[in-house]
Amino acid sequence: MKGFKAIFTATLLEIACDPLALLITLSALALSTFAGALHYHQFGEPSRMAREAGVSALLIPGLAFAVFSSIRAIRREMESGTVQMALAHSVSRAGFLFAKMTGVLAAFSIFFATVWANSLVAVKGSELGALAANGDIARVWGPSLALGVAAIAVPPVLGAILNRFASLRFVRTATFLALFISLAGVFYKFDSALALRQLGLSLAVFPPVIFFIALAGAAAVRLKGNSASALSFAVMALALPVLGAHYLPDALENGGSVPLGYLSLSFAAALPLAAAAFLAGVGLFCERDLT
Amino acid sequence: MNGIIELKGVSKTFRDFWLRPTVKAVDGLDLTVNEGEIFGLLGPNGSGKSTTIKMILGLLRPGEGEVRLFGLPPSDPAARKRLGFLPELSYLHPFLTARETLLYHAGLCGLDTKTARSRANELLEMTELVHAADRQVGGFSKGMARRVALASSIIGKPGLLILDEPTSGLDPVSTDEVKTLVKTLAKGGMTILMTSHLLGDAQDVCDRFMILNKGRSVAEGRVDAIGSSLQEYFLSKIGERRDFKVAPFLAQ
Repeated sequence: MKGFKAIFTATLLEIACDPLALLITLSALALSTFAGALHYHQFGEPSRMAREAGVSALLIPGLAFAVFSSIRAIRREMESGTVQMALAHSVSRAGFLFAKMTGVLAAFSIFFATVWANSLVAVKGSELGALAANGDIARVWGPSLALGVAAIAVPPVLGAILNRFASLRFVRTATFLALFISLAGVFYKFDSALALRQLGLSLAVFPPVIFFIALAGAAAVRLKGNSASALSFAVMALALPVLGAHYLPDALENGGSVPLGYLSLSFAAALPLAAAAFLAGVGLFCERDLT
Repeated sequence: MNGIIELKGVSKTFRDFWLRPTVKAVDGLDLTVNEGEIFGLLGPNGSGKSTTIKMILGLLRPGEGEVRLFGLPPSDPAARKRLGFLPELSYLHPFLTARETLLYHAGLCGLDTKTARSRANELLEMTELVHAADRQVGGFSKGMARRVALASSIIGKPGLLILDEPTSGLDPVSTDEVKTLVKTLAKGGMTILMTSHLLGDAQDVCDRFMILNKGRSVAEGRVDAIGSSLQEYFLSKIGERRDFKVAPFLAQ
């Protein structure tokens, strides 16, 4: 258990120090902030654009975050040789892989909390903007846009200054600053019903993410980074139409909330697939010589 | 079989992507390392030392033969419970500090938090890294990284310590410190298997040795029984010298 905790924590820290993960997080924040501020396309429903942008920011960059983080976390261990140090202890290969994948899932949860909080601010701003416009063309709600922009711009600048431009520490600080600033924005005109609805809607991102973490991790055990990415994105290209057909329309037709039964069904479908991908990864890893 | 490490007729052939054999790194090796001794696995570059060690650690699977570690196959995590390993290159996570690296390895050894912290502090003092304890190891010099890796390998107070080229990349003072450390650990009851091609270091430290060449054992015995310097003995057993013909190159 202590071995699991050590590998899990190191993986979480590793992704928090990964510039690519930070870049994807900031891009997702930009998508949820700026697309949500476009008030000319509400699809006949106040805040619908912001809501849709928020979920898209969690799904598309979220899947990219999950795939790249999973592959990089495992490939770096293989290529730098640190996996040899870990497996020289009483850690099984299956345990190692499980700890790495759960570490990636924990890092994704930080991404999720950051982008979810930011999208909630955008949705709230969109609703307030529609109210203030009083039936006219909705206007951008200033404070909410300012909070979104602060979550994107302040972390890299402040992180760099605080760490005197030291690369690894700067990325780690910026990642956590983005989380804290986004979460702080939630408390601006806090609306618990809206927060819960937006959370339920966003949680539907987790089932595909869990599956793709397992798939990308399993591929990375055997394939080099580029090949593992290509394989994961090919599977994603096949699966996205299925996700697109069920998930956004379902959510949006229900006034921005996802029924609990739908969420349970998504998890019930994704978990066996993720388990199958994980077991395939363990099989490949156990057969593999670590030179 | 009753040594801590036992290899019987072990061979390892590396293969390419299409499973065609590329190189036979180890060929029919028999090896026993007994409790409490310092055993030196010696040989020139490419003789199969690191491959042998990786098979003992369970990182490589032997093609033929049997490997036992504490009486168990090395793929069994229970066999590696009392093991410390220092690889030839200091494989460290660059984003962790020296202290975090030691705590990471303490976690892998299953130590509780209090013990882990106290041992990490002791080892940071022992390796004179207290001043750099909270700096990320990605920015360390080769020698400092080597000291962190060495401290990581012994934080669990293992019963068996495997050192792959432990003095590689160290200056003479640090090399001497490592040799003293190895002897002290062995006196404390630790069994040590080390590889080296620095024969002077091996002669100073090891009780027994095996010389490998082209994946096969060419000599084995006690260091104090060879009656000459290990260097001369080694060259007589390897039986070949590389003579780089540099004069014609310089003359052109």
